[in-house]
Formats: sequence, structure tokens, C-alpha cells
Amino acid sequence: MELPVKQFQTRAEQAFLDAFTAAEPTLPGAGNKWVAALRRQAIDTYALLGLPHRRVEAWKYTDLRSQLTDAYPFARARSAGLSEAEFANALTDRAAALAAYRLVLVEGELRSDLSDIAGLQAAGAEIHSLGDALQKPAPWLKEVLGQARASSDAIVALNTALMTGGVVLRLAKGQTLDRPVHLIHLDGEGEPAGIVTRNVVVVEAGASLMLWESYAGDRVLQRNAVTEIVIGDKGAIDHIKLQREAAGSLHLGTWLVRLGADARYGAFQLSTGAALSRNQINAAFEGEGSSLNVSGALLMRDRQHCDTTLLIEHKVPRCTSRELFKAVLDNEARGVFQGKIIVSPGAQKTDGKQMAQALLLSESAEFDSKPELEIFADDVVCGHGSTSGQIDEDLLFYLEARGIPEVEARALLIQAFVGEAIELVEHEGMRDALGAASAAWLGVAYD
Amino acid sequence: MLKINNLHVNVDGREILKGLDLTLPAGEVHAIMGPNGSGKSTLAYVLAGKGGYEVTAGSVTWKDQDLLAMGPSARAVAGVFLAFQYPMEIPGVATMTFLRTAVNAVRKARGQAELSTPDFLRLVREKAKGLKIDPAMLKRPLNMGFSGGEKKRNEILQMALLEPSLCVLDETDSGLDIDAVRIVAEGVNALRSKERSMLVITHYQRLLDYIVPDRVHVLSDGRVARSGGPELALELEQSGYAEFGGEAA
Repeated sequence: MELPVKQFQTRAEQAFLDAFTAAEPTLPGAGNKWVAALRRQAIDTYALLGLPHRRVEAWKYTDLRSQLTDAYPFARARSAGLSEAEFANALTDRAAALAAYRLVLVEGELRSDLSDIAGLQAAGAEIHSLGDALQKPAPWLKEVLGQARASSDAIVALNTALMTGGVVLRLAKGQTLDRPVHLIHLDGEGEPAGIVTRNVVVVEAGASLMLWESYAGDRVLQRNAVTEIVIGDKGAIDHIKLQREAAGSLHLGTWLVRLGADARYGAFQLSTGAALSRNQINAAFEGEGSSLNVSGALLMRDRQHCDTTLLIEHKVPRCTSRELFKAVLDNEARGVFQGKIIVSPGAQKTDGKQMAQALLLSESAEFDSKPELEIFADDVVCGHGSTSGQIDEDLLFYLEARGIPEVEARALLIQAFVGEAIELVEHEGMRDALGAASAAWLGVAYD
Repeated sequence: MLKINNLHVNVDGREILKGLDLTLPAGEVHAIMGPNGSGKSTLAYVLAGKGGYEVTAGSVTWKDQDLLAMGPSARAVAGVFLAFQYPMEIPGVATMTFLRTAVNAVRKARGQAELSTPDFLRLVREKAKGLKIDPAMLKRPLNMGFSGGEKKRNEILQMALLEPSLCVLDETDSGLDIDAVRIVAEGVNALRSKERSMLVITHYQRLLDYIVPDRVHVLSDGRVARSGGPELALELEQSGYAEFGGEAA
């Protein structure tokens, strides 16, 4: 391949390029011209951009290039990667135990022996591992995979170049599943590794899906996970992510969403894990009358860093977007929220609102919030807000005056703060699981 | 018995209570009246243990325990209950969750068994009924969207559930119409007992028509200026607080 235009500055930057060069012939879909070209184009984009750093506006608060000095070797799924006991243990988690079509990914690879693929197919869904889907990509897949504008993001480009695992899922017109689909990432206990997964999820007109992704475990990883979503007219997706990666991990999660007309997208992300995490959601309204409701909470302590960056593009009239994010930051943790709303010319009657709130539990914790509105239409309602504060001493006193010990009273107030966002999740069982996960972070009982 | 001896309290460096003495025997109801700024609410907060109130001299004992040495939750466990003048609104905490957490925290600390969910629900329903509290209200976040009357009834509900031995009611009648005052007062009267002492803080005599006190103390400039029987409240209704350095009642 041609030499990179850019002079790479860190070992990790160079390592990703080298990894691609070495792995290219054996990457899934290598025999397919379209896939090979897609990967080539992506690695060229990466070679131009390098890893994002603080002088790239969208990465202002998260200097990945300086944080990521070394790249871990890429994991290639081994069939013995996860023991029965580990799997059984993982299912005791409240979220994992919820009734769902479970798709278990070990080191990113869809494990048919641990997944309910037959059930999902019987329910009418089309489901493939990414690897299988790339052998001979279906025409509909080619219209989605790597076609979002955000493909120019260095992290997404790197994902496209190196994607080895993930799932491809499609619901045909009018289909609805009786249960959510839960992508459970389990990675066993190996050496630190890099895992690159790509999911493509399409719900056609009038179809609806609940899609959950959970990332948990004790293995230190550098994960780059992208989920591309297309929602057809009058279709709907409720999308949840639980990120509880091992301490010391890097989690880069990107959701790229396109909505048709009168479609609905609801999303919630809970982040408590990883040393450094970046959650990107780029959503574009491409049909009129659609709505989006994206919310989440991050609970971080020690020196954890968690960045949530949203880009909502109102390209057409009469769409509604709502975002609510809550950050709880202790010790020297740092939370970042960037929310950008772009209203295209002609996207009249756009209604977009976002809110980011942080609760700082320590003097050294930091929250950076950057809302951006780019509005090119005149008949719109857009707003944003951001607050940052400490626990209200008057509320704390009220609870304590009722006999609730201070530690419990604080936990109750923190849970209430986070709960305002969790309440937006419609699925009761998942709402409970999210509440339990925040309680676990706080070290208090949850019932 | 509650014994307050020569209590001096500063708030933001300014002395508000200036040598307050008060004795409240078990089973009695005493009213604290006085003009605005005389230190009534400060007394209530100091008894409950709110931060920001600096005790510079004096002592407060409840059943021979040094209240001032205890944190707010320990005081609640010891039997102190403050019905707030302005109950806090806490979004995200369901009223029922709050009530159960409080009841079980207090029970646990008192060495009693925690209540099971069905037992707790039964207890709340029974107490709520007496206070004409709509069960739907208890599903809402704590005090959010409650009317003034609902908030005060919710305070009395908490009082009934936590079974305190020393109740401090801080202007529980403020902002209530006469019907709401009556409901709240009935709730309070139902809790009167030989073991339970109450300190009813009020600016107006009106509440004392319904909760008839054993004694009335008039606070003025951070001290008890005068004490007497229930007739003292009626007298103040006529004469106002002028002689105590306040405007007419």
C-alpha cells in the first residue's frame, strides 16, 4: 500500500496501520472486492487523520493520541476463549438474565453455541455474524455498512479497516420481535487485547426492535465498537448500552443512526467502567415527522475519563430530538459532554433540546460541557442547558433528619439524580438492571 | 424530658439564640410563639442537627442524652422528629421508597426488625388514610407537585411512621387554609401520648385552637421572654408581639 501522508507521532498510531497491513489478507471479507476496497479507503482515511487529538474540535477534551500510547495486539477469537462457568456466571448479572434473544460475542466473535440464533431466526429476524456477512455482502448491507457521513471520523475509519467481529441483523417490513436482542460481550481472562466489532442493524418500514449491548468483564481491552443503524419509515428502535469494562480499558463506542419518516429512536447508555471511554452517537433525520430520545448516565471515579459526544442532524422538517445526560464524578474523574445539533436549511419545525447535568462529589472532579447549535432554518425550537453542582446539603439534611444515615442519604440522592435519566427507559426490567448497576457503583443495596 | 440550658447559637457569625432555657417534660405539648426573627426556626433546626448552626454555649439533652453531640440521623433514631416548615422536594426519589428507607433505617438502628414490604404497605395505608392522603400521592417523587397542605400532611405521616418521642413542629400551619390546619392538627392530636413530647412552633395562635398546649413560651430576641398556660396564646392574639419587640400578630 502507499505510504501514509501523515507523519505518525505515537507507537500506537503506527501500530494500527501496521496491524492492518499485516492482517489485511486474512480479515473477514478479504476475498470480496467491495469489502477490500471499503477497508482500503478506511485505512487511507485513518492514515490521513491519525488518532484524534485535542486540536481536533470534536476531540477537544479527549486527547486520544496522547492517552493511547501503545496499541494492544488484536484478539482473534479462539473457540476456547470462554469457559462454561464464566458464561454461566455472566448470566447471573441482572441485565444479562433478562428475557432476550442473547447473542454472545467472545472477543467480538459471535458464538453460535452460546447464542440464541435459531430462536431469533424463528422469530423472523435475519442474523449473521459480521464475518459471514462480509464473505458475500448482501446488496442491502452495502447500502448501510460504512456509508454514514461519520465514516470520516478516524475512530470509525479504523473500525471499518479492522472490523473482525459483530453481528448483522435485519428485521423485514412490519416485523416486531417478542423479546429484545441482547448483544453480550464476554472476553474471558486473557492478555490485554484490541477488539474491533461492527454491528449493522436494519429495521425496515414499520418494524421495531429493542437492542441491548453490554460490555463487562475483567480483561483489559482496547475496544472499538461501532453499531450502524437504519430505521425505516414508521420503524422504531430502543437501544441500550451498559458499559462496565475492566479498569484500565479503553472503550470507544460509536452508534451511527439514520431515521426514515415517522420513525422513532430511543437510546440510553450507562457507563461505569474503563479508564478512558468515548461514546459517540451520530443520528441523522432523513424522513419527516420522526423523533429521537437519547439519554444516559456516567458514573466515574478515581482518574476515569468518560466522554459522550452527540451529533444530531435535522436534515428534514418536523423532527424532534431530546437528549438528557447525567454525570456523577468522584475523586479526579472527568466527564465530558458534547452535544451538537445541526438544523439544515429547510428543516423547519425542528424541535431539539438537550440537557447535561453533572454532580461533582469531589473538588478535583471535572465536568466539561460543550453544546453547539448550528441552525440554518428559521422556524425551529432548539435549546440546550448544562448544570454542574454538588449534593444539595438541605436535601441531605432532610433525609438524615428522617433517620437515614449520611452515607445512605448521599447514595439515595445520587441514585435520584441518575434516576431521572434512567426513568426514560421504557423496559421495566432493563430500568431495574440500570438502577442496580448504579447502586452497585455506589456500593449500596438495590431492591 | 427535653432540657435546654443557656443555649447560645450563631448563624453566619450572628448570634440568634442568646441563652435560651426550656424544659419540656415527657408527654407534654408546649407551644413556642414569638415574632419573626425571635429564633423560633433556629431552635427547631438546632434540635434536629442542621449544619451551619454553631452552638457557642449551653446544652441540650433529651432523655439525658447529649443531643448536640449527635448527628441528625442519630437524633432521629433517638426519637427526635422535625416537621419542616418547608419540606424538601426531591425529584427521582419516590415518596414510598423514601418512607420505607427511613422507617427501616430507624427500626434497624433501634434494634427492631425491618418491616417486610407488605407489612410496610399496610402500615402506610392505614396511617395515610387518617390523614386523608391519596395513595396515588405516595407514588410521586417526594413532595414534587404536592400542594402546601399535602406536604404538611406528608410530614405528619412521616411523624406517625417513625414513632418519635420528641416532635418539633416548625410552623406546620403556615400557608394552610383552615380545613388543612384541621386535618394536620387532628393527625398531630392522634399522636399525643404520655410518652411523647411535642414542641409546637407557631407564629399564630390559630393552630393552638386545635392543638391545645400544656404550656406556651414566648420567644423574643433569642430567649424565652415569658411562659404561661394556654391562655397566654389567647392574650397574644389580642395584644400582639409589640411588647416582645415584634409587630402585631
